[in-house]
Order: sequence, then C-alpha cells, then structure tokens
Amino acid sequence: MAFMRKQAVVAAVDLNTITPEDAQSRITAGVKKYATNEANYAAADANTPYLGHIVGMGIESSNLADITMSIERQFLTTMTARVPLSEGSSEYKLAAGELGKLRILDGQDALAATPGLSVKMLMDLGHMPKNDAYLEKVMSFAYVMATGDGWKMADALKKMAGKAEKLAGSERAEALVNLKTLVAQAQAYDALLADPSKLAASKAAGYQNDKSGFEALNSELALTLDKIKGVSAGGDAAALAKFRGEEAEIRTRLKMSAAKLRVSQEVSEAAGLRRKVEDKTVAEVRAALKDSAALAETLS
Amino acid sequence: MPLSAEDVKALRRQWRLSRVLVAPVSLVVAAVARFYFKYRLDENIEALRADIWAKLDQHDGPVIWAANHLTLIDSFLVFWAIFPTRRLLEDRRIPWSTPEYTNYYKLGGPMQSALLRGLLYLCRCIPFLRGGEDAASETWRQKAFDKCAWVLREGGSVFVYPEAGRSRSGWLEPKRPKDFLGKLALEVPASKFLCVYLRSERQIATTACPPKGDRLRVVAELVNGALPGESNPRDISQRLFDRLASMQQEWWKGSDMARNCAGNDVVDLKGPLLRENFSDDLSAADQEWLERHLTKRELESLQSLGPASLFRGFWRFFCAKEACHKALGRAVIVVPNGAFHEIEVDLFRRKATHIPTGLQLDIRFTDDDEDKLHCVAVLRGGYIGDDETEGDILWTVGEVPAGTSPGAFVRDLAVDFIASTNDEIGTSSRLALTENSGLPGVLWRGAAQDWSLSLSHSGRFAAASFMIS
Repeated sequence: MAFMRKQAVVAAVDLNTITPEDAQSRITAGVKKYATNEANYAAADANTPYLGHIVGMGIESSNLADITMSIERQFLTTMTARVPLSEGSSEYKLAAGELGKLRILDGQDALAATPGLSVKMLMDLGHMPKNDAYLEKVMSFAYVMATGDGWKMADALKKMAGKAEKLAGSERAEALVNLKTLVAQAQAYDALLADPSKLAASKAAGYQNDKSGFEALNSELALTLDKIKGVSAGGDAAALAKFRGEEAEIRTRLKMSAAKLRVSQEVSEAAGLRRKVEDKTVAEVRAALKDSAALAETLS
Repeated sequence: MPLSAEDVKALRRQWRLSRVLVAPVSLVVAAVARFYFKYRLDENIEALRADIWAKLDQHDGPVIWAANHLTLIDSFLVFWAIFPTRRLLEDRRIPWSTPEYTNYYKLGGPMQSALLRGLLYLCRCIPFLRGGEDAASETWRQKAFDKCAWVLREGGSVFVYPEAGRSRSGWLEPKRPKDFLGKLALEVPASKFLCVYLRSERQIATTACPPKGDRLRVVAELVNGALPGESNPRDISQRLFDRLASMQQEWWKGSDMARNCAGNDVVDLKGPLLRENFSDDLSAADQEWLERHLTKRELESLQSLGPASLFRGFWRFFCAKEACHKALGRAVIVVPNGAFHEIEVDLFRRKATHIPTGLQLDIRFTDDDEDKLHCVAVLRGGYIGDDETEGDILWTVGEVPAGTSPGAFVRDLAVDFIASTNDEIGTSSRLALTENSGLPGVLWRGAAQDWSLSLSHSGRFAAASFMIS
C-alpha cells in the first residue's frame, strides 16, 4: 500500500556535496508545512527553535517525528552500513558504506531543536564533514533552551503588567503583589543569564539527578545479576526466565538512561561555555526581561 | 490456620539466636549507612525519637511497624532512624522483618546466598512470597501471616510495608489500600501501628538505595491498631493508609521538590497534519512513522485494535505520552523532545512507564470523542480519579476562538478556570501565570502555588489542568 505523505517529492542530495548553509535551508524548507507561526518561520535562521510560538516556528510536538523524517527524505549519506552493537543484537550503529538513504536512529535527534542544531547533528554523526566556521554560528542546545525560558518569562511578565494596568481597587492591589513576584523572578533569571557559571550550576542539578538515576539503575542490574546467579544453581526455570526478563528490561532502561545522561551532561557543560553567537541572544533576552520588569515597576 | 508446634519452636529458636546479634548488626547498619552511603539523618531526629519512644513506653503491647517503601534498604534505614542504640536491649521492640523471598533469599553464588540467608535469619526475617496465585504460594503467605501474628501475640514487633512492594510512582496512594495490615491488627487487637514515612531528599523514583550522601527526613507517629467496633480489615487499612498519606504530605512540606506532578494534553483529531501519515480512510499508517513514536509493545497493542481504530488508537497513545512528558517534567525528569520511546503507555491498564527511571504514571482520558482527545497524567501528589471516585486533578477543555492566539487563549482559560473552582480566589485577576524552567506556574497572593498547572493546545482546542491536593 502506498502512503502519500502529502508532501512535495524532493530529490535527495548527497550531504557530502552541499554546504552546511545549503543543508540548513533545505531542512528549514522541509518543515514549512508544520510551522504555525508564519512570521517567525519567514525570518528563521540557524538558531530559530522548531517549537514554541514566541521566537519559535510554532511547530507542534505532534509533528516532531515529521521533522526528523523530513530531514531523512532530503539527504543521502555514505554512513549506511549497519554494524550490530553486539553479536546477535538487533540494535545497530551506522558506519561508512555505500551512498544511500539517510537514517537518524532513535535518540540521535534529541538535541536537534533548531535547523542549525540539526546540521550539527548530521556533522556529529559523520553524515557530512564538520565545518567549524558554520558551527560557530550555531547556538548550543543549552542556550536555545535557556534563552527560550527567558523569552517565555519576559512575555508572561509583560502580559501580566498589561492586565494589571487595566485593574482598579483591591483587584489591582492583589495583581500588583503577583507582579512583584514576577519581577523578582525575572530579575533573578536575568542574573542567572548574566553569569555562565551560575547557569551551568543550575543545569548541573538536572545532570546530578540523571547521574544518580543512572547509578541506581546500575545497582539494580547488579542485584538482578546476583538473583540470576542464585537461581541458576537451583534449576528453577520459571524464576530464571523471570529474572532474565528483568535483566533485559533493566538493560533497556540503562541504555535510555545513558542517552539521557549524555544530553544533560552536554547541557550542563555547554551552559558554562558561552560563545559569541550565544552572547548576542542572551543580551536580547536580558534586555527583554529588563524591559518587562521596568514596565511592571511603573505600575503602583 | 494455627502454627504447628515445630514452627513455633523454630520461631522461638530464631528469636533467641537473633538476640545475640542485635547489637553488632545494629552498629554495622548504622556504620554502613553513615560511612559507606554517607547518609545523614534530619537535624530533628533526636526530638522525633524522643517523642516516639515516650509514646512507645506508654504502650505495653505489640507494635506493627508500617512504612512507605521506595528502596531495597528501607528496613535498615527506618530501623537506623527510629531505633536509638541505647534501646537495643529492649528485645521485643526490635521488629521482625518480612522481606520478599525472591528478592533476598537467592542472591549470588552458593556461599553468598548462604551467608545472606544466615544474616536474614539472625535479623529476624520472615520471608514473604508476594507473587504466585497457586495453592503453594497461598499457603506460604498464610503461614507468614500466622508467624507475624504469633510474634505480635508474644508482645513482639513486626515490620510490614503496607503497600506490599516498592511504590512504582514514588508516591504512597491512599486510595489503593491493601488489607494485610488491617487483618493483622484484627488478629492481634492489642497492637499499635508505628507509622513511618522516610525518604531521602533527592529520592524521585523507586531505586535499589537512596542517592549516596543524601539527607534522610523522617515523619513518624504511633497510631491505634484495631479500634473498638472495627471488624473490617479494609476499614483499618484505609485508616492506616490515610494516616501515612497525611505524614507523606507533612514530609513534602519540607521538600524542595514539587509534590504535585501532573500533566495534560489535547489532540484535535480533525487537524489535517495529524492525518498525513495515514491512508485516506485512516485504516492504515506509515509503519516507519509509527515506529518512531511507539515502542514494540505499544505497536502490538495498536495492531490488536484493528484498522478501524488505528487512527484514534495511535493518537490516544500520543496524547497520553505528551501528558506524561509534562507530569515528569514537574519532577525534574526531562524527557527530550521527540524521545517518544522513553514513555511506554498501556491504554488498557491506564498506566504509563518512564522507561529510564521505571516510574509509573496513571493516565485518564477525560475527553474522547469524534473531535478531540484530552488526557491527564498523574505521577504523584494525588489521585487521578475514575468514573466513580473524584480525583485530585481538575481540567477544562475549550475551543479556541477564531483569530485568537492559542497560546494566549489557553493561559486565560487556565486562570479563569482555576479562579472559578475556588471561592476564595473568586476572580482570575487575583492570579498570575509564571514560567519556570519552561513549565507554567500560578502565582496567588504573590506566592508560587504547587498546583502542577499544565497547558496544551492543538488545532481548534485548548486545555488546562491542575491539581488540588
């Protein structure tokens, strides 16, 4: 049965024959139909988030897999040879082989939140040559998220100030109490963005959570292996099968937990390493936070 | 079923032998907790011990220890936290434990296993077998119950986990009581419950042990066993679970973590972009696209629904995953965007599992019609509710007026809805929405509320949910 994805048919190109900028513009064009914020989409660059409405393209999470599949359809790669992760395993990694269809494996797109980060993902996975000059212009995932949170906060404060302005009497007084808290939050976030080391420390908490989760899982695995060892001698086939199932489940969890840990580690590290391209956006977000706070403080 | 003379003799022998090891084992437990795991007890632990032991001194009868259960070493930690060294000679206060046989009695090779069995024997353990519905398993459980009752009748103490296993959501749910403790209290009416809620500061999910170096905070209370006139085990268990639940609330008051963790998601089933990976009659779908979203188990479940339900079935899975994604985010468990396989949904059991942590969430479809789906998910903080029992989560689904930004509309919808559900708030102007780490929050009287607000919009619809526990 043929499935019409109802999209225009595009001729896939070899990623090794195009520039990163070309790849970026093809990726951006590929997601046009999913973008619900036309203005932001029209002005999109390497660092425009796919998701979100304030500065993002407004793509809904129900179309996240479509973004990845759109990228896969547009490009060809030589990283096509499937190498099993272990003997007899159905899981595999991709290695150099014949030119063929691009395949982005489960979890590999976890950080591809913008067209620029999608191109970086293709470079990191070896599908196209690494281009440091291009990557200099791409904001890290950590800063896409951190500035995204800042935009949301500034927007919430601005909207609340707009609402409070129209109120009178006790309602206005109560709204101003809330507004004061919002201003304090905005100022605290502004201070956080001002100092990369503080931002890194705040992201480190998430990393620590993931790390202790990963360690706890390793302890669970060790315990299950002990249980297997224990029942193996007794010849209790049912118990052995149960614990083998438990082991397989924990190993799957460990694999996902390790992938998650890598993401939070990268976020934690990148938050402390601010580059020029991130400075500019951070400055814009901080200005928006300050403007919103100033607007709120004019109300009394 | 009374215990045989042989069983009683064996229990008496175990009790006698265990007395010899009480002091060294207790000291080893304390040393391992303090120096290997580097756990710290709350600053107020001495005051709590003094209060509990003053009450225990006034109760001459047997005691049933009842604690929440999150890690495999909870029994040791609870004992360490509650039992002062100077009281170690009070033999009948030292509780008998009820570990799960399959978890502890066949660990490692023959030597390790034998050593562990010996240690468990000397630590006054009565092995339990929780799984198995066959006659042998039932007999085992009954015998273990009878042994516990015998220990209590002799004036001793027994440690039982009321939930009968580690909580998969990290939350003790009072709406799902188990009868075991109620039965035990009825069997030995002179007993009192020593309820303990112990949790380490960073304990989010069920694990082998709390994170190393963590601080353990404890809430404990001595509670009446079977009250005069109480004859139904369920009533007693319910009272006990309610007590433990209020202690849980007390514990969370002192925590930095959000107590309420819930999320929602709405899907506009008529949205054109939702149909593009399906055949025109919606009876078949692009397999690769399905595989990107669903785990193997979910795919099998979807196939079993048949072609007529494929489209709706897929979006039910998706909607539940998105709701869970938001609930987990509240607990600082970030599911990367697009990592759909990290959450596995069981629509039949109305449960979802976050695979990396093993955390289980409850899910509930509040709207499921031709036009839309709306799902709420609860990780912790309260009960999700069902058709018969009201839950602790409230929700609203509205249609986005034409020409209105769905993002702005859903925010107004949320504050109007919250205000309408609480007389004290009355009007939405008393509330403000805030954003923290990408999650929406509510301010009231200038303070952030732990209500786990969740917002969602899709096509023509917007929806908001929050928790009132």
